[in-house]
Amino acid sequence: MATIVEATNLKKTYMLGKIPVDALRGVNLKVESGDFLAILGPSGSGKSTLLNLIGALDKPSEGKMMIEGIDISTLDDGQLADLRRGIGFVFQFFNLIPRFTARENVELPMAIAGLSKADRRKRAEDLLETVGLKERMNHKPTELSGGEQQRVAIARALANNPKFLVMDEPTGNIDSKTANEIICLIKRLNEEKAVTIIMVTHDQHLAGQSKKIVQMFDGLITKEVVN
Amino acid sequence: MKAQDILSYSFGAIRLRKLRAGLTTLGVVIGIAAIVALLSITQGLQATITRQLQTGFATDTLIVSTGGGLGAGFGTGGERATSSGFKLLINDTQIINNITNVETSMAIIQRAGWAGNGTTNLTTTIVGVNFTEYSSIYSSTFVAESGAIPLNPENETIVVGKRVSDPWKNETLFCNVNDNVEIIWTNATTLPPKNETYTGHVAAVLKEIGGFSAGGPSDSSVYIPISQAQSFFDTGECNSIIVKLKNDDKTTIDNVSNAIKDSFSGQVSVTSATAVLNILSSVFSIIQLFLAGIAAISLLVAGIGIMNIMIVSLMERTREIGILKALGMKNQTVLLIFLCESVIIGAIGAIIGIASGWVLANVVAIVFRGGGGAFTGNQAATTGGMTITPLLTPTVTILAVVFGVGVSAIFALYPAWRASKLKPVEALRYE
Repeated sequence: MATIVEATNLKKTYMLGKIPVDALRGVNLKVESGDFLAILGPSGSGKSTLLNLIGALDKPSEGKMMIEGIDISTLDDGQLADLRRGIGFVFQFFNLIPRFTARENVELPMAIAGLSKADRRKRAEDLLETVGLKERMNHKPTELSGGEQQRVAIARALANNPKFLVMDEPTGNIDSKTANEIICLIKRLNEEKAVTIIMVTHDQHLAGQSKKIVQMFDGLITKEVVN
Repeated sequence: MKAQDILSYSFGAIRLRKLRAGLTTLGVVIGIAAIVALLSITQGLQATITRQLQTGFATDTLIVSTGGGLGAGFGTGGERATSSGFKLLINDTQIINNITNVETSMAIIQRAGWAGNGTTNLTTTIVGVNFTEYSSIYSSTFVAESGAIPLNPENETIVVGKRVSDPWKNETLFCNVNDNVEIIWTNATTLPPKNETYTGHVAAVLKEIGGFSAGGPSDSSVYIPISQAQSFFDTGECNSIIVKLKNDDKTTIDNVSNAIKDSFSGQVSVTSATAVLNILSSVFSIIQLFLAGIAAISLLVAGIGIMNIMIVSLMERTREIGILKALGMKNQTVLLIFLCESVIIGAIGAIIGIASGWVLANVVAIVFRGGGGAFTGNQAATTGGMTITPLLTPTVTILAVVFGVGVSAIFALYPAWRASKLKPVEALRYE
């Protein structure tokens, strides 16, 4: 299996006002294609910081973060943006564009990638069908429930055929019943479509569905468990 | 991201905040409208004055003066008549008449004075001319509306301009043909100064010329025979000599001008219609620049408004920018989206501004013409015989669009740049 993400002695220090905070203090991690990885840990353990680096949203202070064999420290803003087009993001608060309909939100990453209108419309409809929202595709986010919004967000994350999905507490902001549907959807994507998933979660049930659990504490990985 | 997608993204963002975008656009509209209105009125005015000058000031004439009056302001030569006590005399016309290509020349004496009809005294300019020569040089403007310009006038014979006969533009005439009018001037060469006066007899009222006349006949003057002026003003000097040339070629004008200056050892100014027109157009350029500058201030204010609104927008949409960047949008695309929003506002503002500026210019013209009163539907405005037809040139139109869009783009540059430089992690965390 190909290695998609590889972190070596990863450190990240950021300034909280004038106080330096060591969010990551030497993390080593390897994610293979087809993995379904859950990162668990209390708040402040550095899991979100790690996820930001995996998603190429930020650069490490020290150590190496290789995404598909490329050291992201060597990339400029434009190259990082290009790299992010190959990564699908799912956020806790959905982060859909409120003025766009569900379909337009799914089209957005494809528009950014420069796809033609006809192509992206077709693909957006297919993706919304995959997440079971084809009938609601012309609704705006405010007209959708939390679970529906998250499904739109997952469809959007899949838009540019990403190498892997990065999920930041995907069920953190929805009720448990709906969360179950989302968990099923994520699991199905991983099992049926072989989508690589790296997610941060508090949800023990969701973590239990993953193939591998990484436990973090105080900026370090303390435990790796294969389910 | 494709250009059309950037455009439609920007447009969508504007539509989301209609009132705010509308008010920002209004700022641009006012700036552009002010520029367009002021420039089209000024250009219309310039066209009118130029046209009147061309009719009132024959191109085949030169005006010779001692640096006083017209010559001082509009001197063509580098040197002006000195204050060395040089005086232009009435019979200097004989010297000028001997110059090649001069058809004829005539002296003009003029003084500020009054005309009285027994009840009212009217401020006027008393001009001493040779009626025959004057009417042949200014054959289109020194023309009688009523009565006839006498070729062999009596000493008391006078010709009055339209505004002397009818100063209030109503049925109440100050004087008419065959009336007697008191001609008054203050002789300040004696001590104490004393009012000289005689009774003139109106032989003709000139037809209306228009509000502006350089060198030629004017509506508000009283014309008396040159011999009468000589004795009445007790002088052998004249204010200016009008020279009629055989043709209006540039070389003729230049040669004769130089010959006249040489004849008087460079102590006179020679003015030609062409020179006056050139000076006029440069004066108008300055006026236009000045007015456009004032109007540009309002555009500057609009620009600051745009910047303000874009910074507010940037703050509100920080999270959105974070999302766009997470989805792989490049910095320059974010920059373009913000610039595009501002340019759309600028372009819409410019188009509406040009239209409203044009309407404003016409309203001003109509108000001028009616003196705030009569609207006749015609776009020409009249003030003291002056008509203004606003003129909107393609240059002004294009410049207005360029300025509107340019100002919008320039003032959006900083907010757009800040938006493009936002760090995705921080932008996503922004509440």
